[in-house]
Amino acid sequence: MPDPLVLIIDDEESMRDSCSQILLKGRYRVETAADGAAGIQKVRELRPDAVIVDLKMPGISGLEVLDGVRLIDPQIMAIVITGYATVDSAVEAMKKGAYDFLPKPFTPEELRIILSRALSHRRLALEAEALRREKRQLEDNVITMVSHQLRSPLVAIQQYFEVLLADIEGPLGDKPKEMIRRARERLTGLLNLINDWLDLARINESQLVGKLKPVSLGRLLAKLVAFMGPLAKDHSVSLEWEDAEASGLRVLGDEEMLEQVFTNLIANAIVYNRPQGRVHVSLREEADAAVIDFQDTGIGISPDHLPRIFDQFFQISRSESKKMKGSGLGLSIAKKIVEAHQGRIEVTSTPGIGSLFRVRLPKMPKEDGRS
Amino acid sequence: MTTTPLKILVIDDDPDFRTAVTAILKSAAYTVITADDAAKGGSLIRAEKPDLILLDLMMDGLFDGFSLCHAVKTSKDFESVRHTPIIVISAVKDIAGARFGFKGEEQGMVGPDDYLDKPVGPADLLARIERLLKK
Repeated sequence: MPDPLVLIIDDEESMRDSCSQILLKGRYRVETAADGAAGIQKVRELRPDAVIVDLKMPGISGLEVLDGVRLIDPQIMAIVITGYATVDSAVEAMKKGAYDFLPKPFTPEELRIILSRALSHRRLALEAEALRREKRQLEDNVITMVSHQLRSPLVAIQQYFEVLLADIEGPLGDKPKEMIRRARERLTGLLNLINDWLDLARINESQLVGKLKPVSLGRLLAKLVAFMGPLAKDHSVSLEWEDAEASGLRVLGDEEMLEQVFTNLIANAIVYNRPQGRVHVSLREEADAAVIDFQDTGIGISPDHLPRIFDQFFQISRSESKKMKGSGLGLSIAKKIVEAHQGRIEVTSTPGIGSLFRVRLPKMPKEDGRS
Repeated sequence: MTTTPLKILVIDDDPDFRTAVTAILKSAAYTVITADDAAKGGSLIRAEKPDLILLDLMMDGLFDGFSLCHAVKTSKDFESVRHTPIIVISAVKDIAGARFGFKGEEQGMVGPDDYLDKPVGPADLLARIERLLKK
């Protein structure tokens, strides 16, 4: 195990030197940076275990450095050095995730003690994270196995129905065919239910925190819209995509889960639409959020049903056959995923005109040094 | 004058699926050979040189459908049959192609010539096969 790497970010050379000397005596590897921007760059390159940041620096302030650093590594231990009478900034720093603060002047012993505590905290956090990942892997495998075992027989049955209905093994009369068609629909309903339950199981078990990465919303949505083109065509519905911010709005999240939510919302907009209808998907930026709108010209949702639309198993019994196909879980899963991303999902609708599903997600600040 | 019927290899670990798809293919006068795992499928490809391959993803083992498809398309072992068209048929929840397209490519794997969702509509399957065989 290599010695822990500590990065000291301070504009005062004497401070960098004295801290380095103290730490080098205590079996740490030390790097330094003379300003916030250089500090963030070094965090990106070197991935230190801890940073010591002076709150008062010219240029990028210590607090901004904290933000930048924690974006790169949410588990990095940050210790802030404060001057006299800066208790407020210290509290602010703690709120931004600093592990602790050290007011000047401090003794070598004080620095070493705080750092040692911070690093054992980090060790524990990393171990917990590794265990969580392992647990998740195991559960994922169980869920995948169960999913496969539940689905395969049903898919085999569906396949036989397809062959029978196409008269491939001899002509079938109308009545037998009608029964097979009905059986096929019930099977589809069952498959959808299984798929959705497994999704729920996966979401309930998962610790999203482990898999958070920057996701480019524009790129993801464009890809999904292209992908759903054939489905829209099958339903004679036009599918439009509008990205007001071509510059790549990003959120911190689990790309697979977000993909699932967006696919679900686009599919709903297509399927619960009218012939020659429209689906409009758009992405825009607001002060603190990325906003994605899914607008359709469908049958709409009545005011009585609207409050329950995200409930588990809630289905609007428009027609028996449509009801049998869905599981009623899709939107409740979408809501869980969005909320797990600290976001919100809302719906407005006018029966006979259409519905608008709006997803808000906290956006990531634009990366330093990139447009 | 006789024309040799075209030969299609079906690789799928589900015996019922093999039965159902064989019925579809035979109704369109294709000759059908089958294999129940990727390894046996690989051997049959080299031995029988089919005109087209229907491949299930069969993600249970280490050598799965993804790997076989990639091998046929890129490996020296399959050079003599490199250009055999491959249709991947698999039970993916959403529209087929999503998983392979989005995931397989990210891992640098070469994908199939076409993909279909299970269960396959007979007319659909035959149309896709015809399109690839015409090339």
